[in-house]
Amino acid sequence: MFNRRSLLAGATALGGTSLLPSLAHAKGIVTAATYPGSWEDAYRSVVAPALKKAYDVDLELQPLFAVDQIAKVRAARGAPPFDAFVLDPGPRITGIEGGLFEKFDGRKISNAPNLPAGMIDEWGICVGAQVVGIGYNPKKLPKPTGWKDLLSDPWVSRLGITGFQTTFGTVSLIEIAKAFGGSETNVEPALVELKKVLPKIAAVGNPAAMPGLLQQGQCDITYTNIQTVAILKSRGVDIEFVKPASGAVAFFTTMHIAKGAAEADNAYKYFDTVVSKAVGDALVQPPHNFIPVNKQVVLPPSLPMTNLDEMSTYIQHDWSKINPLRAGWIEKFNKEMAK
Amino acid sequence: MNKLAEWQLTLPLALAFAAIFLAPLLMLVGVSFFSDDKITQPGFAQWVKFYGDPFSYKVIADTMLLGVKTVCATILVGYPLALVYLDAPPRLQKVLIFVIVMPLLLSVVVRTFAWIVVLGREGVVNQLLLSLGIISEPLRLLQTELGLVISLTQIEMPLMLLPLISVMSRLDPNLRDASAALGASRWRTLFTVIVPLSMPGLVAGCLLVFASSTTAFISQTVIGGVRLIYLPLLIWQQSLVVFNWPFAAVVSIALLISVLTVVSALSWLGRRSGGYVHG
Repeated sequence: MFNRRSLLAGATALGGTSLLPSLAHAKGIVTAATYPGSWEDAYRSVVAPALKKAYDVDLELQPLFAVDQIAKVRAARGAPPFDAFVLDPGPRITGIEGGLFEKFDGRKISNAPNLPAGMIDEWGICVGAQVVGIGYNPKKLPKPTGWKDLLSDPWVSRLGITGFQTTFGTVSLIEIAKAFGGSETNVEPALVELKKVLPKIAAVGNPAAMPGLLQQGQCDITYTNIQTVAILKSRGVDIEFVKPASGAVAFFTTMHIAKGAAEADNAYKYFDTVVSKAVGDALVQPPHNFIPVNKQVVLPPSLPMTNLDEMSTYIQHDWSKINPLRAGWIEKFNKEMAK
Repeated sequence: MNKLAEWQLTLPLALAFAAIFLAPLLMLVGVSFFSDDKITQPGFAQWVKFYGDPFSYKVIADTMLLGVKTVCATILVGYPLALVYLDAPPRLQKVLIFVIVMPLLLSVVVRTFAWIVVLGREGVVNQLLLSLGIISEPLRLLQTELGLVISLTQIEMPLMLLPLISVMSRLDPNLRDASAALGASRWRTLFTVIVPLSMPGLVAGCLLVFASSTTAFISQTVIGGVRLIYLPLLIWQQSLVVFNWPFAAVVSIALLISVLTVVSALSWLGRRSGGYVHG
C-alpha cells in the first residue's frame, strides 16, 4: 500500500521530472506554428537544423492551418500554445484586429538589410510568397489555359475543388468568379457556374484531403499552390503547375510573435534564420520550391518568378475587403454544394 | 473505511470532471447566448439564426441518419461475427479478438486515409471490379454516403463487437442445447433465445457506435467530402474558420442534444430489454 513517505517520494520524483523541460529551456527553444504538409516538411528538414546551428535554439513545430492558429491563440487568452505564427494575408488581418500579436521590432532581424522594402512592419515579417494556380495531371488531361477551363470538359469531370476555408481556395474561387463576370467581392458567378456542373465534378473535398485525392487519382486537376504541386511531384505523382492565362495569384506569407509568447527573443532568432540566405538557398530547391524574400537568394528557373519584384505582376487581393464577406461565402458554399 | 472517507475518495475525480467537462460545457452554453462573434452583446440572435434556417434541420437529420445507417451496418456485419466468435474454439477466439481490437490500435486518421486508398477511383475496390469485368467505369465510392457508411462500419466495428461479445460470452450454452432439444430450429433459437439474451450488449454497442459515428469529424470530412454536410463540419467551420464562436456553440448544443436524445432512447431500450431478459 501507499504510505505518506512513498507518496512524498513519488511527488518529489514527479517534481524532478518537471524540471527537465526547464533544463532543455536553458539551451533555448522556440515553438512555432507551421502549415501542415510541405511547410512542415521543409521547416523540419531545413530551418530546424539551421536554427540549432546558428543560435543553439531548438525548433518545436506545431502543424496548424492559419485559421487554426488564430482560433487556438484566441482560445488561449494570453497564454498562447506557440510563440510564432505563420499566416496568410486574411488570417493576418484577423490576428491584428484581434490583438493577437506582439508589436514587432525589426531591429532584431540581422538579415533585414537583405530584404526588399516593406517586408517588415509593426506586426511582423514577411518570410516568403506563395503562388496559386492550377495543378493537373498531364498524363490524363490536356493542359488547361485558364480558370474557365476548370468548369468545362474534359477538365470538369476530373476536377477537385475546395471551399473558402483556405486562402488558396478563397482566391481561386474569386478568380473563377472573375472569369464569369464576378469580382473580388462578388463570388456569386463562381457559385452559379459551379452548381451547373456540380454532378460532373470529381471531388468537393476538405483542403487537407486534396493531396491524397490527387495522389489516388480521385481527381486529376485542382486549384492549388506551387509548394503542394512540388511535394506531390517529389512523391512520384504526375502533376504539373500551370499559371492561368489571366495570371496566377500571389500572396505574401508573414510571421508574427504571439501575444504573451514565452520565447519572444528566440522567435526573433527563428525569423532571422528563416529569412537568411543559407535557408533561402535550401528552400528554393525542389522539392520545397519556396519563394524566399532574401534578395541574395537566386531563384531557380523551376520557380514561377525570378525575383520578388515580379510580385506586382501577379494578381493580389485586398483581404480587408474579403474577410468580412468570407463567413457569408462559406455558408452559401455549404448550401449550394450540399447533397 | 467509514462513509465519509469513501465519499472523499471520489472528490479528485469529481473535481476533475467539474473542471474539464462541466465548466467548459457551461461556458459553451453561456457563449451561445451572445449575438455577435466578438462575444460582447448578449442575445438570442445565433439561436434564431440556426433554428430559423431550414438548412439546419436538414443537417441535423442527415447527421442522425448517418448514425442510424452506421449502427444498422455494424449490426448486420458484427452480429454474425459475434456468433462465429461464440462457437469458435478458444484458440480461434483469441485470433478473432485480436482482429476485432486491431483497428483500435491504429489512429483514426490512418484508418480514414487508408479508406481513400480502398475506395478511391483507382482504389482497391474499383481495380478489383474492373479487372473482373463487373464494371467498365470506376464507381464513385469516395465522397458518397455509401462510401462513408462502409468506412465508418469498419472504423466503429470494435465498439459494437466488444460489448456484444462480452455479453454473449456469458450466455449459458445449456440454453441453446435446451432450445434445440425442445425442437427449435437454429433460426428460432437465434431469434427467441440468443438475440433477446444479447440485447444489453447489442444496445450498448448501438449506443457507442451511434455516438461515435455522428461525431466522427475526420472520417466525415475526409471520406464524405464537404458536400455531405454534418453537424461536426458546421461546428469546425464556425469555430475555426469563421470564428463565430456563439454560432458554433449553438450548433454544438444542437449536436449534443440530438445525440443525447437518441442515446437516452437506446438506454431506455436497453433497460427494458434487461427487464425482459431477467424478468
